[in-house]
This record gives sequence, C-alpha cells and structure tokens, in this order.
Amino acid sequence: MIVRDVICPFCACLCDDLDVHVEEGRVTGVDNACDLGSHKFMTDHRMEGPVRRTASGWQDIPLEEAIRETAELLQAAERPLLYGWSGTCGEAQSAGVHLAERVGGIIDATTSVCHGPSILAIQEVGHPGCTLGQVKNRADVVVYWGCNPQHAHPRHLSRYTTYTDGFFVKNAFKERRLILADIRGTDSTNVADEVVRLQPGGDYAVLGALRAIVRGKGDVVPPEVAGVSREQLFRIADLCKKARYGAFFFGMGLTQTAGKYKNIRNAIELVDELNRHTKWTLTPMRGHFNVYGFNEVCTWMTGYPYAVDFSRGMAFYNPGETTAVDILARKECDMCLVVASDPAAHFPAEAVEHLASIPVVQLDPFPNLTTAFARIQIPVAVSGIDAEGTAYRMDGVPLRLRKVLDRGYPDDVTILSEIARRIGEGGGA
Amino acid sequence: MILNTGRTIPQGNSVEFKPSPEYGAETSRAFLAPLDLMDMGIEAGDRVRIRCGSRSAVLTASASDDVLPGSLFVPYGPHANHVVPAATHGTGMPDFKGIAVEVEPTSDPVRSVWDLMEDLGGKRYDR
Ligand code: SF4
Repeated sequence: MIVRDVICPFCACLCDDLDVHVEEGRVTGVDNACDLGSHKFMTDHRMEGPVRRTASGWQDIPLEEAIRETAELLQAAERPLLYGWSGTCGEAQSAGVHLAERVGGIIDATTSVCHGPSILAIQEVGHPGCTLGQVKNRADVVVYWGCNPQHAHPRHLSRYTTYTDGFFVKNAFKERRLILADIRGTDSTNVADEVVRLQPGGDYAVLGALRAIVRGKGDVVPPEVAGVSREQLFRIADLCKKARYGAFFFGMGLTQTAGKYKNIRNAIELVDELNRHTKWTLTPMRGHFNVYGFNEVCTWMTGYPYAVDFSRGMAFYNPGETTAVDILARKECDMCLVVASDPAAHFPAEAVEHLASIPVVQLDPFPNLTTAFARIQIPVAVSGIDAEGTAYRMDGVPLRLRKVLDRGYPDDVTILSEIARRIGEGGGA
Repeated sequence: MILNTGRTIPQGNSVEFKPSPEYGAETSRAFLAPLDLMDMGIEAGDRVRIRCGSRSAVLTASASDDVLPGSLFVPYGPHANHVVPAATHGTGMPDFKGIAVEVEPTSDPVRSVWDLMEDLGGKRYDR
C-alpha cells in the first residue's frame, strides 16, 4: 500500500509530499523525503513495552502499572519538571500543559536550548515573519545566517529557495541570490553566491555593521569587522537593499553564540532597517518538527511560549530561571517527566547529573540516552507515523500529521490524559 | 581553542537511535584545521582530549579545511556536552558555541555514549 501526501515528522520544514510504502505494518520505502526523513520512517529500534529500572537490571512492567506509578511520582513531587514536547503533536502538548498546571510543576520545551533566544528577541522587537510560500514565490535574495540547511533541513533549499521556481521567480537558480553567513565552510556555503565567513562570536558586530551601512552611516565601518571586509559588507548591504523581496533565515549559529538573543535582536533590527528600502522578512530555522507547536500551544494556554512555572498557582515565566537547564543545574526539581526528547544527550553534563538523583519517567518510542536515567519508560506511538495530530511548521502554519500504520502502541495524548485522570482521582496535587 | 558544536547529517540520521555505534562515532569526532593537527603532532584518526574547567572528553580528530585554525567543531551530542558548561547567563541557553577549551593529544580511548551516561550516574539500557 502506498500512502500519499504524508507529512514528514522530522524537521520543522514538515515536507507534505511524501509517499510512504507500507507493507504488513512496516514502512518498506519512502519517496520524496531527504535522508533524515526516510531514516525516521525506516528505523525500527522501538522499545517493546514499558520498562522499570531495578537494582538488578531492566524489568518489563504492565502499562497500567507504569501509568499508576508515574501519576504517584508526579503527585508526590514538590517541584516536578515536565520537559521535552518538540517531538510530539499539539494535542499531547496541550495535555502536558494541563498536567503541569494540575501538579503545580514547571513545563519547558527543547525551545529553551534551540530558538528560545529568538523568542526573547521577538518579545523585545517583534517578528517580521511570513509563510514559506511567500518566500518560495517572491524572494529574490535569501540569507541563511548561522545555519546549515543542507544538513539540518535538507529540503529547505529545494522546496522554498534556491532550487525551486516561484510565481514571481521564474528561474530560481539564476534569479535568487543566496547569501550564507557562517564561521565555518559547510555544504550550504558551497552553493551560496556570497559567503560571509565570520570569526566565531562575530555575528553581533557584523550585523551591526550592516545595519549602519543600510542606514547610510557606512563611514563608521572599519576596514574589517570580525573577519569580514568592509568591501564585502557594502556589497551585501547593496544586494539586500536592491532585493525585490528578501528572506532572512537563521539558526543556532546566532542563538547559541555569546550574545544569544541580542544577536537575534540585531538581525531583526537589520530586517527592520531594510524594510525602509524594500520588503524583507525573517524566519527562525526551527529544528524539531513540532517545536514551534509547543510555543503556539503554550502561548494560547498560558500566555507564555515555554519555561512556564505553575508552582505559584498561576503561570510564571522567566527564562534563565524557569528553563530546564537552569532548573536541573540548580538541582531544583525533585521529579522529571520527559516527553518526546532526549535531555541526557543534549544538555550539558552538569545538568544531566541531577537526573541521576531524582525519579525520571520518560515517554518515548525509542531507548535513548535519557533512558539511562529513567526509572520508568513508556514506549508510545511515533507522531506522524503511527499517531496523528497537529504540528506547526517553522513559519507557524499548522498541518495535520497522518497515521500511516498501526503498531499497537498508545499515543502520548492517551498516556498523558490517563496520568492526569489518576491524579484527579487522587485528589489533585 | 574555541569549541563549536552543531548538527550534521550523520548525527541527524542516527539521532532517533542514539545507542547505535554510528551515533557514538559521529558525535565523538572533532574537526580541526590541518595546521592545528600538525602543530599538535597528530594525524586524522588520532585522539584528542578536550577540557573545560574540571570536565573533559576524548574525541577522534578529523582534518577539515572548513574549520578556522584555533577552533574545533564537534557534532552536537553527549561527548561535546560532557564539557559544555551549564551556565546560561540568564537566558536558559547554555553556550553551545564559542566555548574556550584546552585541546591536547591523548592515547586514552573514546568512551561509548553509555559509558558517558554511567559516569553521570545513569545506567546503560542494554536490552
Ligand atoms: S527536509 Fe525535514 S521535513 Fe523535509 S523530508 Fe527532510 S527531514 Fe523531513
């Protein structure tokens, strides 16, 4: 059987044109996906059923027992952290926010270690955004700053920019100019018309210099800024000003480097400056397929996009204090529920260490490095493969993930609602 | 030297199954400028220890012209995170890029991802 027009649940491009071949409850082939997408459909290392860690090793336990114990642990905890959420659907994220409120816990998503700083900057100076369709049909100058789309979002160039023609861009490969800014050469810099190779940590200064030039204050720019020559800066500013429609994409080269949200703020203000001459937009290259979804869901439920602390009986948001890495590094939480992510692989060791001293429950289809710290792991269906639901693309467009097969696993929503129901029966936290 | 971490295709391909040898191998690579390798008197395939404060990790060196001399690139994962400090400077985001580290040749072996997790108090999932 071939299931057509399937959405890929790997990265936030959410490519919606996959054909998935399914035979006897297994995916046997995927057309149109990139390497990363096909791998996600084809790999099959799922955990069979719920497990509990004991002194002598790993023990199978019934689902019922796993759910009951999780509810008890959440209820007994004084400061539980509910973390992850970028690899599941909006419905599960919503169930997670309700659960966090009920137990008076902190809920945070992988956002805090990817585009959290972008959100902080957007809260300061706004977001000149657009849909990817606009970029595809209109953009004649595209900037990728501090990101490597060829590796992290492999079809971004072929679906939205360099390799795809648009309504107003008839011959994209010739007409679209590509500017890439990075501290190292990558497969993406290889295809660019203009490569800005800057020194590590030089982003803020280079963006600032471009702003000055666009504003007409180019005389203050020295011969070289963070490894980039004055000539190149003027050339790029000129290219950007002459664009009919410019699209600025950026990745973790800006969010994870010193300056963090100040780098993004500078990028947004450069786009603002360019909008005095022509039309420019800016889009964060969100990573996980539904990390943006968490920010949407959490915002419409609590007023804040991530890092929400319910311990005061109301939503409190203070990144740097209520964000997962900080909570763990301060050894503040006394229980952790991890859903659809892998903090043990992605957090600094100092934060991971605390997971070893508190009860951890993980909802994830696969054994991952956080499994090493889990007291209980409940394998669930994979959103977009054997569970349906809503996901938000990097430009904020919600799309419906499809269920292409049934493997008999419960989905995140079912498990989370069941945990919440148990806690409700127990009288709440 | 300056340590930068980031995503790569092999890292992304194996990210859904982190206990795999491919994931461990990819995330324990250190890409260095050929000149820096020469300065340290080592070749691609030899091992280096990176150190930041009291934490360190052993990685396999690779030569890359794409990396600026004085810096090294390590695919995002548990090996690099073994030395990345947890401080977020009030932003929630640790410095995953631009970290000052010491790099020296070593003959110690590269640890497996499960070894790293056990060092931090975890228990390998070996079923
Ligand atoms: S670019 Fe992203 S969404 Fe598209 S197929 Fe590749 S991994 Fe999937």
